[in-house]
Amino acid sequence: MARVDARAWVVWTLTTLVVASSTRNPLYVLLLLMITLVVSVSWASAQDHRRALSSLRFAAIAVPMAALFNGLTAHLGDTVLMRLPAWLPLLGGPVTLEALSFGATNGLTLTAIFGGFATFNQVTSARDLVRLAPRAFHEAGVVLSIALTFIPHTTRSLARIREAQAVRGHRVRGLRDWLPIFVPLLVSGLERSMGLAEAMVARGYGAISDREQPLHTQSMLALGLFAVLGGWLTWLFLPAQKAVAMGAMVAGGGLIVGALRLAGRAVHHTTYRTHHWTTRDTLIVLGCGLTLVAVLVPLPVTDRGTLYYAPYPRLTLPTFDPFIGLGLLGLLLPAVLANRDTIDRA
Amino acid sequence: MRKAISGAIYFLSAAIGVLAFVYPFFIGRQVTGSIGIAHGPDAPLVTTALVGLSLIALLVELQGQAISAKTVAMLGVLVAITSVLRFVEVAIPMPGGFSPIFAPIILAGYVFGGRFGFLMGTFTLLVSGLITGGVGPWLPYQMFTAGWVGLTAGWMGNTLRPTPRTLKGGLGFGGWKLGLLAAFGFTWGLLYGVIINIYFWPFAVGPVEQTWGPGIGLGETLARYAAFYAASSLGWDLIRAGGNVALILLLGAPTVRTLTRFQRRFHFEVAHGQG
Repeated sequence: MARVDARAWVVWTLTTLVVASSTRNPLYVLLLLMITLVVSVSWASAQDHRRALSSLRFAAIAVPMAALFNGLTAHLGDTVLMRLPAWLPLLGGPVTLEALSFGATNGLTLTAIFGGFATFNQVTSARDLVRLAPRAFHEAGVVLSIALTFIPHTTRSLARIREAQAVRGHRVRGLRDWLPIFVPLLVSGLERSMGLAEAMVARGYGAISDREQPLHTQSMLALGLFAVLGGWLTWLFLPAQKAVAMGAMVAGGGLIVGALRLAGRAVHHTTYRTHHWTTRDTLIVLGCGLTLVAVLVPLPVTDRGTLYYAPYPRLTLPTFDPFIGLGLLGLLLPAVLANRDTIDRA
Repeated sequence: MRKAISGAIYFLSAAIGVLAFVYPFFIGRQVTGSIGIAHGPDAPLVTTALVGLSLIALLVELQGQAISAKTVAMLGVLVAITSVLRFVEVAIPMPGGFSPIFAPIILAGYVFGGRFGFLMGTFTLLVSGLITGGVGPWLPYQMFTAGWVGLTAGWMGNTLRPTPRTLKGGLGFGGWKLGLLAAFGFTWGLLYGVIINIYFWPFAVGPVEQTWGPGIGLGETLARYAAFYAASSLGWDLIRAGGNVALILLLGAPTVRTLTRFQRRFHFEVAHGQG
């Protein structure tokens, strides 16, 4: 068993995002944050152990900042700590314990979101992600692959140009001194892209690029966007028509996705070394499903009210539903299934 | 017909983008009850999904009209160069929000047109996000906004350069055009910050309803946002905008010259055989 499929990681990351944005109960958020940390550490190879804890550093900044901002500008809640003079615009008024703690919770939520994505960035490689591009974005995928391939080249030629200029006595002191480095970098890169383009054309790449976007794909896109926009405006300004608005947004999204598939059907390409979906990937996705059900679906055993915790008007201890907590543990599966040997070898 | 639909797609996706950025100012106005938490916590998520959708639509539209091998190769290489510049930015701490990626996007859009500029902006942010480990819910917004930076730069190029493909076009670049482009870079430097911040805003202050008393109107929110903006990022954005101006003034003329020269060199045609 090699790496986990990138698609499974995408599902995992989106699940953490959904959970983090559907609760403001600090207990659940803390649990989520710890889960992302454990998963991140369990998948970290020996050299990126320090990077795995980067969300803690993020928390050290985000939590106090958010607490301070909310505490100074939201003047709600009963437990007044101090009063700022009323003539101060925005800041004037009571500073309450509730506003401070709500801000801190926001900071914590941000950290949990950051943690989920930090883990995602750590465990997936850019190449795997480019492979996930839908077929309609074939050209975009080619551009991305070229860019990713040329980045090491560009870094090397940047170093080479800097050395060559340094030999001539050139030193980088200010912005102006970047000009003799940037222009050769640009010219050599463009020169290389010419060669690449000629090679691609010689191998027949241009042969299929004469096709035009069919008119109905274009119309579907426009209609889809129109439905999404209309639905959203209805949602915001006509609260009574929520169902209609939702329907329009879903239909619009469907049209856009449909146009994407239609555009993809014109593209034929084969994949080299496909990644096989393993049982472990299925288990990870099932774990995410468990979490989503526990958080989003009103079950008879869970009390979803505990998700909607607010410290106002008077700070109370948040309540914790053990079943929702258990559901969150579904996100822990990647850590349980981590395979030490393959990680350290990679 | 085709042109009209294309225009509609640009317009609608821009409208969705704008709405995504201003909706936090409106959503509170209809909540008139007590400090209710009926909906809203997932609002940022929905917004991200909608922005993602309009980004997809715009991308399909823009790349659908056949990208030639030359454009693909050049786009890939320019994105790589710009992403490496961003890497330099991460490695060498520069003051504030200074970022060297916008000047190349603007200049490339100016020379190669809006479509190229949009793709370059989007892909640069995507690739540099991938290599610096910056993938997150903010990525669709960054891609969308940077894409629009390139697209509008292309529009500027169309109006400023009377004969885009003749020999003189672009070579006589400098003077007031350069100044205008620098001003354009300054504006986008600030605007980018404002836009990315508005997106961040619902995350930072939490569901709007919770900090919203019944009697608080739009003005109060705007004041709050202004404070948030001034406190958190005005300084950064000014540095970014200033950096754009400096880079465009410094690199603008040679870069536009180089790009125009290569644009002409790239103009080779493939002779199709009969059959």
